[in-house]
Amino acid sequence: MQNWLPRAAELTAPDKPSALRRILHTTLGLEGVVGLLLLLFFVVIALFAPMIAPHDPNDFTGRPLERPGVVHPLGTNDVGQDILSELIYGTRVSLLIAVGVAIGTVTLAVLIGGTAGYAGGWIDNLLMRLVDVMLAVPRLPLLILITVLAGAGLAQMTLTMALLFWPGLTRVIRAEVQRLRGRPFVRLARHFGASPLHIFRRHLLPALVPLIVFGLVTAAGRAVAMEAALAFLGLGDPAAKSWGLMMRYALNLPGLLLTDRWLWWLLPPGVCITLLILALTFTGMALENRIDNRGQTR
Amino acid sequence: MKQCLLSVRDLHVNFDTVRAIDGVSFDLVAGESLAIIGETGSGKTTLARALLGLHPAGSVQGSIRLNGSELIGLGERDWGQVRWKTIALAVQNAASGFDPVYRVGEQIIEPMRQHLSLPNGQSRARALALAEQVGLTERHLHAYPHQLSGGEKQRLMLAMALSCDPDLLILDEPTSGQDMLSRERMIALLRRLRAERHFALLLISHDLAAAAALTDHTAVLYAGKLAETGDTRAVFTMPRHPYSWGLLNAYPNMTTSRDLSSIRGQMPDPTQPPSGCRFHPRCTQAVEDCRHREPQLEYHDGRQIACHLGGLQTLLSVQNLHKSFSLNGSGPLPAVRDVSLDILHGEVVAVVGETGSGKTTLGKLLVGLLEPDAGDIAFDHAPHQIQMIPQDPFESVNPLFTVQAIVQEPLDIQRVGTRIERTGVVRETLAAVGLPTDDRFLARRPQELSGGQLQRVVIARALVLQPKLLVADEPVSMLDPSEAARLMNLMKSIQNERGMGLLLISHDIALVRKVADRILVMRDGAIIEQGLSSVITSQPEHDYTRSLLAAAPAFDWFSHNGGR
Repeated sequence: MQNWLPRAAELTAPDKPSALRRILHTTLGLEGVVGLLLLLFFVVIALFAPMIAPHDPNDFTGRPLERPGVVHPLGTNDVGQDILSELIYGTRVSLLIAVGVAIGTVTLAVLIGGTAGYAGGWIDNLLMRLVDVMLAVPRLPLLILITVLAGAGLAQMTLTMALLFWPGLTRVIRAEVQRLRGRPFVRLARHFGASPLHIFRRHLLPALVPLIVFGLVTAAGRAVAMEAALAFLGLGDPAAKSWGLMMRYALNLPGLLLTDRWLWWLLPPGVCITLLILALTFTGMALENRIDNRGQTR
Repeated sequence: MKQCLLSVRDLHVNFDTVRAIDGVSFDLVAGESLAIIGETGSGKTTLARALLGLHPAGSVQGSIRLNGSELIGLGERDWGQVRWKTIALAVQNAASGFDPVYRVGEQIIEPMRQHLSLPNGQSRARALALAEQVGLTERHLHAYPHQLSGGEKQRLMLAMALSCDPDLLILDEPTSGQDMLSRERMIALLRRLRAERHFALLLISHDLAAAAALTDHTAVLYAGKLAETGDTRAVFTMPRHPYSWGLLNAYPNMTTSRDLSSIRGQMPDPTQPPSGCRFHPRCTQAVEDCRHREPQLEYHDGRQIACHLGGLQTLLSVQNLHKSFSLNGSGPLPAVRDVSLDILHGEVVAVVGETGSGKTTLGKLLVGLLEPDAGDIAFDHAPHQIQMIPQDPFESVNPLFTVQAIVQEPLDIQRVGTRIERTGVVRETLAAVGLPTDDRFLARRPQELSGGQLQRVVIARALVLQPKLLVADEPVSMLDPSEAARLMNLMKSIQNERGMGLLLISHDIALVRKVADRILVMRDGAIIEQGLSSVITSQPEHDYTRSLLAAAPAFDWFSHNGGR
């Protein structure tokens, strides 16, 4: 092993790339830039929804089923509410659920996977059998059941999804913690008298960041899709106007697809869902690459 | 019960503010021999001169009894009765011992005429006999001092000292400044003379080999006090006072292959000796008590040692250690079998053996990175006081950490000092291992360092908690030879400076014999041979050790050139 020899890349003097190229190549890459810009776009819309939306999405501001026009850029729905405003406010619901589920999932996965991987023994065994059981249960039916039983509030939905999503990530994190635990520097830290908390904070958590980012983004994307699916099935929070709920209402209209109405009623929320998931995926990929390279290159 | 010839009790010699000899007591039985050894400036010569009454009256206190009668307080006339006839001195510098304007023969006769009142003819005959006894002839007696070589003068000086047939001969550095051959001859001569004439010998020397060859007993003098006394063989083979240990380890001789190591620090200023035990500032195992209370020469296991701790302590003691690994299904594979070993304070012990001999497992067991299956490890300090320098520095540091984070981590974990103090310690330690201490270096990451630099960072991390024992597992095996040698010297000097124990694990017996005090040879998980570094490398008992030595790299031009 001679890994302290200078790498070829270090021997050639680095030329100074342009600022744009640096951002595109060394920092995030193309997909990262696209993903982050899209994500930023949705976040800005969600934050400033009241200022951007032309109407209150719950107000009946026009006649039912208006075609797009000056007052209602995307027309109105079957009860005369502005579709664009619904779409804009729907961003808030989707992002809120995405963030909530992502944080909940990752927290559970890091806590449970970290404990199992670090402690080992019967604790590990117990927690991993729980993961197996959770993974074996079909998700959507369970989610539907829970939602039906627990009610369809945003908070319940977020919690339920986090409870469903953690096992997969937990497995990955446990495996990584197990690998790290055996590394000499972690064993040495223990020898210096380090508490599990110190080891977790200084050695494990920083090393888990790529997995955590990956987990956050994946869970967020899945949450957006799952929420849309639930809303579509009529299990969403009827008070929170989400993109999925919009699609459900649109599809409830008999003969929607026979006219061109689906173009401004059904398609926009579908495109938004797709774009948000795409944004999250791209961002995740870029961050993962970047963070993975920490500790390998300068 | 043999008659006690010389009995010194609580002897003090003061010159103004200098306490040159500070409470020395010892006995010398008629016909026996005693060596007083110590560094230059320890007070050896002052002690010798005190026994002959050569210091101004009033500067010497205590008691010197010769055959039961007190010498201290005698007038110059009475001293005249003692000198030459009972106690004779041959001094360090033979050249200044003779007057250049008289023939040496005349000068040898002089004490016989004065002290024995022998007539001229008789003393001449006796001088000739003495000259022949020391291997010289009548021709030498007729010479002037400048016509003789140093060795000849030294031998004539010895002849003169023996001229009045003293009961006690004091030799002050009889072999200093001589080449190896004349030194050998001098030692042989002294042995022969003692066998023939049965005088008691007090040998003052820093030539430890001469002391070992000539005396039955040895007293170690440090800063005007005796540190240890005992049987010469015992003191030399297993010195027990930390100072004796350091002194004997510092001594270069033909039977050791080690590089010269020395005791850390300097001999104290005799006008301001340290409080408590005088050796404590240089001692590797000093405790609080040593700073305040002066230790007395007391018997510890058959030897007199002036040390509160009873001499050199065992730092780590391992008894019957076992460790096996089970590899997928097959029976347990023993890696360490019934290993027992001791490491003393400040000692460098090397464990050598080929790959797979269990050396690394042993190291991990000692450090506590592995749990033994059976056996005891006794270490009287906190577990983190044993630190490890692992083989692969890259594996042993978190790649995400900076140099500062790596070195500071043990301090953070143990919550030593404030944040600023910790940074200070990090910088000091980095400087001690020869690394830069600027902010840019502190912010570097492992991948940006060379192997040698990173190994030094790892050494610095091992040192920040001031460990008592450092376990280094092949610390230089991944470095190029010159960097390996530099790092080895660095570790040795740090070990010496800080006075910690060092267990060196290596397959390279040629490398470790330069720094190790003791070598343990390991094979198939067991220690098959152990002993002093010099003994193991010069007279190995076990075939395996011999093959390790034979395999050690050497520039062996001649045996390989034949085939070309």
